[in-house]
Amino acid sequence: MSSLKAESLKDRAAIVGVGKTPQGKVPGSTQLSLATGAFTAALEDSGLDKSEIDGLLTFPGTTAPEGPLNYLRVAETLGIDPAYTGSMSMGGGTAGALVQMAAMAVANGMATNVACVFGDAAKTGGSRFNRASGWGDSWGIWGMMGAAANSAIAASRHMALYGTTSEQLGEVAVACRRHASLNPDAVMRKPITIEDHQASRWIVEPLHLLDCCLISDGGVCVIVTSAERARARDLKQPPVFISGMGQAYTSRTLERPDWWYVPHQKDALDRAYAMAGVGPSDIDVAQLYDNFTISVLLWLEHAGFCGVGEAGPYVEGGRIQLGGDLPVNTAGGNLSESYMEGWLHIVEGVRQLRGDGGERQVDGAEVCLVTGRGMTLNCSNAMILSKDGLK
Amino acid sequence: MSTYDKPLPELTEDNRPFWDGLRERSTLTMQKCDACGHIRYPIGRICPECLAPGGTWTGLSGRGEVLSRIVFHQVYNKAFADDVPYNVVLVQLDEGPRMFSNVVGVPNEDVRVGMRVRLHCDPVTAEVTIPRFVPEEP
Repeated sequence: MSSLKAESLKDRAAIVGVGKTPQGKVPGSTQLSLATGAFTAALEDSGLDKSEIDGLLTFPGTTAPEGPLNYLRVAETLGIDPAYTGSMSMGGGTAGALVQMAAMAVANGMATNVACVFGDAAKTGGSRFNRASGWGDSWGIWGMMGAAANSAIAASRHMALYGTTSEQLGEVAVACRRHASLNPDAVMRKPITIEDHQASRWIVEPLHLLDCCLISDGGVCVIVTSAERARARDLKQPPVFISGMGQAYTSRTLERPDWWYVPHQKDALDRAYAMAGVGPSDIDVAQLYDNFTISVLLWLEHAGFCGVGEAGPYVEGGRIQLGGDLPVNTAGGNLSESYMEGWLHIVEGVRQLRGDGGERQVDGAEVCLVTGRGMTLNCSNAMILSKDGLK
Repeated sequence: MSTYDKPLPELTEDNRPFWDGLRERSTLTMQKCDACGHIRYPIGRICPECLAPGGTWTGLSGRGEVLSRIVFHQVYNKAFADDVPYNVVLVQLDEGPRMFSNVVGVPNEDVRVGMRVRLHCDPVTAEVTIPRFVPEEP
């Protein structure tokens, strides 16, 4: 119904600046200092002047005391009077949702240069990732709590239905760590083996420690501008075009029998593919949201790289490593680069398409898939980024 | 019982029939929509299928199947420190709804996806009886 209108957004916006702070444990940092540090870095990267930033979208993360009023605090600190602003909290789904919101804003003239900003002092500031799931922590009565539980539910059923193994989950961890070893900015750089993965302690069975993402301090900023401005080529960096965008949500965690499989992710991907006019065979490199290893397997199935239930065998033999058929999370992902709730997935997508990947560059990368997902598997989105826009 | 230090539900006018059913009748009780017949969970004031308000609190068989099973080794809340490793299951109830719970009375490794289970009421305080499950056939 709405697909014709959505397609009009293809290649109407571009990412022209990305920035990040040091990652991992950043003593003395606050959500605000990390957010504004990332903004400054992205502004420098873009070559734009602060006066040109007329849009500001923020994610308060887990440690902003002002919560949903974070946009006011960040704007005050940066001395910006935006034409368009707001904050949104969708956990790992926020980065993609905000960048897509920025793209819609610049495509429709609400703003020209929108900074999407995230900071979180989750490592030093005390994260809230340990709380129980369900509204009002209601699942805590059964001990259903912490961030790993929902993904463990998905992994357990995927294993039971399709024969997926823990070693296959380990392939994802090994691939991300190998890529992080090639990324000087990654938090965890020491290569690991499947044996290391198997020997790591259980967190929530069937997930081992090495199936889990990190908890990190850090900030990330992505600056989105209009295609017209980007094509003028007067900016410091080559633009990376947002060729496809899609989002999909389900809040019906228990009301939907297949919730554990996050089937809405396929809807988000199909919408992004449709806008961009591409399919899985057109993707050169993918940055797939990886709070836990099982997440990558589900994305691979939903994105059509393999069939339902086939992602376990698909990832064997280094297929998702650099040099494989589909390099995934080339900077190390949430699992090994830093847990920036998917924001660094967008940054890495931009780097790959600029050709700035260094040792981890995918040769000739022109089209990158970036996905995000957050909350109790509820919020999902996908973007097709391209080097020159797609015909 | 007064020393129970794990999370407890906040009893409200909206959810009291659910907890009363467990405490007084050892029965899992959920809201059935008077308009479309959908049995909903979690508890809510309107039917998420047809938006009709209210509904009739209806006793369920308490029987179902394990859709997924996980085992907690990490202690996220100190009150569970003596319980790890403990299982959490996603249960598909025969009447349609799904819920999280625990399967008790058997070792974690004997709790498997697809196994049939039935309700087991666990009174943890004077007011709250937590719905857990046991294997249908011991």
